[in-house]
Amino acid sequence: MRAPLPATIADEDDGRLLQLSGAELAGRLVQRYGERVTGHFVMEGREGRYVPLPDDLPAPVAAALRTRGVARLYEHQGQAWAATARGEHIVVATPTASGKSLCFTLPVLTSVMTAGKKALYLFPTKALAQDQVAELLELNAAGELGVRAFTFDGDTPGDARQAIRLHGDVVVSNPDMLHQAILPHHTKWAQFFENLRYVVIDEVHAYRGVFGSHVANVLRRLRRVCAFYGVTPQFILCSATIGNPAEHARALIEQPVTPILESGAPTGPKHVLLWNPPVVNADLGLRASARSQTNRIARTAIRAGLKTLVFAQSRLMVEVLTKYLKDVFDHDPRKRPRIRAYRGGYLPTERRQAERDMRAGQVDGIVSTSALELGVDIGALDVTILNGYPGSVAATWQRFGRAGRRQQPSLGILVASSEPLDQYLVRHPEYFQDASPEQARIAQDQPLILLDHIRCAAFELPFRAGDAFGGQLVEPWLEVLAEEGVLHREGERFEWIADSYPANAVSLRSVAEGNFVVVDRTGGRQAIIAEVDYSAAPLTLYEGAIHMVQSVPYQVERLDWTGRKAYVTRTEADYYTDAIDYTKLKVLDGFDASHAGRGECHHGEVHVVRRVAGYKKIRYYTHENIGYGNVSLPDSELHTTAVWWALAQRTLDEAFERRQDALDGFLAAATALHTVATVAVMAEGRDLQKAVGSGDGAWFATPDSSGHARVHTGWGDEGVDPHAPFIPTLYLYDAFPGGVGLSAPLFDRRAELVDRARQLIGQCDCRLGCPACVGPVLASDETAARSMKELGTAVLDLLADL
Amino acid sequence: MTDLAARLRRLRGQAGIAVGAAATMAPAPRVPVDLARLLAVRRPASMRQRSGTLAPTGLGRELAPGLWLAEETTDWPPLPSCFDASFAKLSEPIDPEDLLFLDTETTGLAGGTGTRAFMIGVARWKGRQFVLSQLTITTLAGEAAMLEQLRAWVGPATVLGTYNGKSYDAPLLTTRFRLAQQASPLQGLRHIDLLHPVRRRWRAQWPNCKLATAERQLLGVVREDDLPGAQAPAAWLRFLRAGDPVDLYRVLKHNAQDLRSLAGVLNHIIALPP
Repeated sequence: MRAPLPATIADEDDGRLLQLSGAELAGRLVQRYGERVTGHFVMEGREGRYVPLPDDLPAPVAAALRTRGVARLYEHQGQAWAATARGEHIVVATPTASGKSLCFTLPVLTSVMTAGKKALYLFPTKALAQDQVAELLELNAAGELGVRAFTFDGDTPGDARQAIRLHGDVVVSNPDMLHQAILPHHTKWAQFFENLRYVVIDEVHAYRGVFGSHVANVLRRLRRVCAFYGVTPQFILCSATIGNPAEHARALIEQPVTPILESGAPTGPKHVLLWNPPVVNADLGLRASARSQTNRIARTAIRAGLKTLVFAQSRLMVEVLTKYLKDVFDHDPRKRPRIRAYRGGYLPTERRQAERDMRAGQVDGIVSTSALELGVDIGALDVTILNGYPGSVAATWQRFGRAGRRQQPSLGILVASSEPLDQYLVRHPEYFQDASPEQARIAQDQPLILLDHIRCAAFELPFRAGDAFGGQLVEPWLEVLAEEGVLHREGERFEWIADSYPANAVSLRSVAEGNFVVVDRTGGRQAIIAEVDYSAAPLTLYEGAIHMVQSVPYQVERLDWTGRKAYVTRTEADYYTDAIDYTKLKVLDGFDASHAGRGECHHGEVHVVRRVAGYKKIRYYTHENIGYGNVSLPDSELHTTAVWWALAQRTLDEAFERRQDALDGFLAAATALHTVATVAVMAEGRDLQKAVGSGDGAWFATPDSSGHARVHTGWGDEGVDPHAPFIPTLYLYDAFPGGVGLSAPLFDRRAELVDRARQLIGQCDCRLGCPACVGPVLASDETAARSMKELGTAVLDLLADL
Repeated sequence: MTDLAARLRRLRGQAGIAVGAAATMAPAPRVPVDLARLLAVRRPASMRQRSGTLAPTGLGRELAPGLWLAEETTDWPPLPSCFDASFAKLSEPIDPEDLLFLDTETTGLAGGTGTRAFMIGVARWKGRQFVLSQLTITTLAGEAAMLEQLRAWVGPATVLGTYNGKSYDAPLLTTRFRLAQQASPLQGLRHIDLLHPVRRRWRAQWPNCKLATAERQLLGVVREDDLPGAQAPAAWLRFLRAGDPVDLYRVLKHNAQDLRSLAGVLNHIIALPP
């Protein structure tokens, strides 16, 4: 049910009566702040394309839909119905708010009512799961359908669980629960599995990278358990807009998938603004904060009578922005609050109340974390403002998609922070307009991940020596597990005999255990506030490090390396810390190679050794270096996959006067390439790393405090033998032992990456170089013959297939 | 060690997993790169596959390949022909000859489909005698025969008598039947789980309600040299892998006493004034 359009809102502050549409607001913002708007386009509205309700839809379901105001289906919902009726797996990748739910609700309800079948829904969050159940139950009540739907997650009380297993028609859960609680106890679910028909998985674009690789394996285990009960379930997947939804869906379930990509839902025109805060210090390339811009835009929008939703990246930022807006709009405590905050950490009852108020149209401005990104229904909105880039183009569109009442123009604004990725995206409106450059990838056969899941699968059901798992013969893996002592081989059978529960030791979000926990000891307490990957720990948890958790700074007092614990306390320090880390890379094996411009590009296996030698203390805002600290931690070693580019000595000698220039160019090029590559494969944070060094591991280069390359051979400062062959190499490697599937697609797209990196540098507003393109440089670089930008461009030109 | 194992070991070390003492087999014809480092670690003796072990006659007689049965019959004072079981929330009176006491020894307490019973002990009253029967599997393949034998001992009139069996033993055995793709004969049977009436009556007075506490308090039973239940899984593994039955015999003894104590506690409760 949609909330009614608001009456025009009187702005009590200045007594003006303003009511603008989203389009008008966009126009005004561009007029007043044109130089900050890096992109402005309109996605045209669309008429709806409809099909009648299917004939074979059971009458009670059709009646229930009609009482809810649905008398016909959108075209894509009709296609989903037809495809599932043909027994096909489908992936629905239409935009947000296009009615994807009905694509799975109708087939599921029909199978429950006509054939007594069951369905399993997997959602990434509990809030979304609860929302789905609520919606199903409403439809159920409207048509008296007799369908029993329940959530089954960590909060489900013990005595309710047995009832759900036996009587649930639709069980709504999440991948972690499936992995840890349902599959290892599948005999308790025997009746459910025996009658299972549909498995619905929402937000599948989120199952990428390490997490996606794990989930793909959990699905392999699910299919294996289903086969034990004689069942082959049919999958209905939903995805946000990414570049490869069909391919990704197929990789996740290892079956052919019918894609449904065109939405038949009507939309009003969508205005999109990309906003870059103004430069406030040209020398250092510093910009105003995203927060200051968001605040201003939100105020203008709310004063203009537009319902506004602001997305912030952290809970702290939600509180900060809410305070700014409340200071303006809610200073009279006698009146109903117009501004509300919404984030995880609030009690579920508080959040449900907030959602109800929003649906009822009583809130004018909402500030939220990504907790509201997904399908929770909060009524109609006019404007969404993103404070900082949410990490992927797909996530950006999902958040933009929250705004828009039927046929009314809506407005989405992305405000960039100073992070290189933000700066890169905000200058490329075409990424948001045209086909997405993002492709979701998984590495479901990553050895450590696969081993963990074969171990879990062996706990669930015994294996025979000739069996396969995920298309591979499983016997060598079983032998490894037998040597580990958890399996016992008897003839052809491998059975679980250990006194342990393997699923508890496998986290779906990391590669093997070994993660560090961050323990807050402020005020004498002992609270675990965060978890950090084993590979990121030496860079962020050394003693003395300032470590941010949800944008709140803590200082690491003690690091217990073997115990995998970091003890921190809250700090008010006015600086942040930056680890000085030396990385040495050596090529072990090449899988593939090709020419790249006048150089070469390779894909293969590398050995990476990383040492954190110390850290710099850097004052906020001014970026002055105010001190150093020592770090003594063990080296990290890594065998992983990588993509690398190299140029021959002769080519470099022709193009550059000095070797130092060539090295600076490589460092600059590496920064730009890393940014574009991260976007291209939708890598998360630190999943993809960069390095510049010699292909044989003889030396490597890191930026010094002025951003220029300094070469190291050992771990000290010795220079390179000027007579040795000079073949600098630029590496992009996966940050996990064994790789995580990023290198292969990067190699396939190598020409595109070099091209985009050249454009990134070329289009950057800075003069000599800045963190957004080639890395930070000093203003004193003005005297240099060629700037870092020029040098980076020169290297990329040599690598480009012009 | 296979190539895959060496590679996994290296990767796991790089991921921060403490890689403990590994098993190594005789070197394969093609020596993997890491072997030199790995040969520094010797394989613990218990991991070797047993060969040519003596038959574990302490487990009784071999009923089927990999399944052993130990039986013992003792005299027992006469029992009432039926008794009131309302203390166990059962409305009809029970014939003691319908009772089947049941206690399992399992490969772990973690639960889930990877846990199995390697020993099932049952006990019944037949007239003035107490018949104790204990099934033990010595191979994994023996489980099928063990489940079949249990099914033969159970009928629709059977009343199960256990200690925490409603939460533990019965669901575990049901899981094993289902994994063997059979219906569980325990479903729908009447079940007296003595943990609950014991708790209701004596929780406030005793430090805990374990069976060992109940038997000591109510029956004056004190066990000597008893193998704690938590060590039972390891005892069985020691036999399975290395052919060493000594601790497994102690598990058998522990299990037998559990069954006798079960019967004794039930007797005690029946004899109490209402």
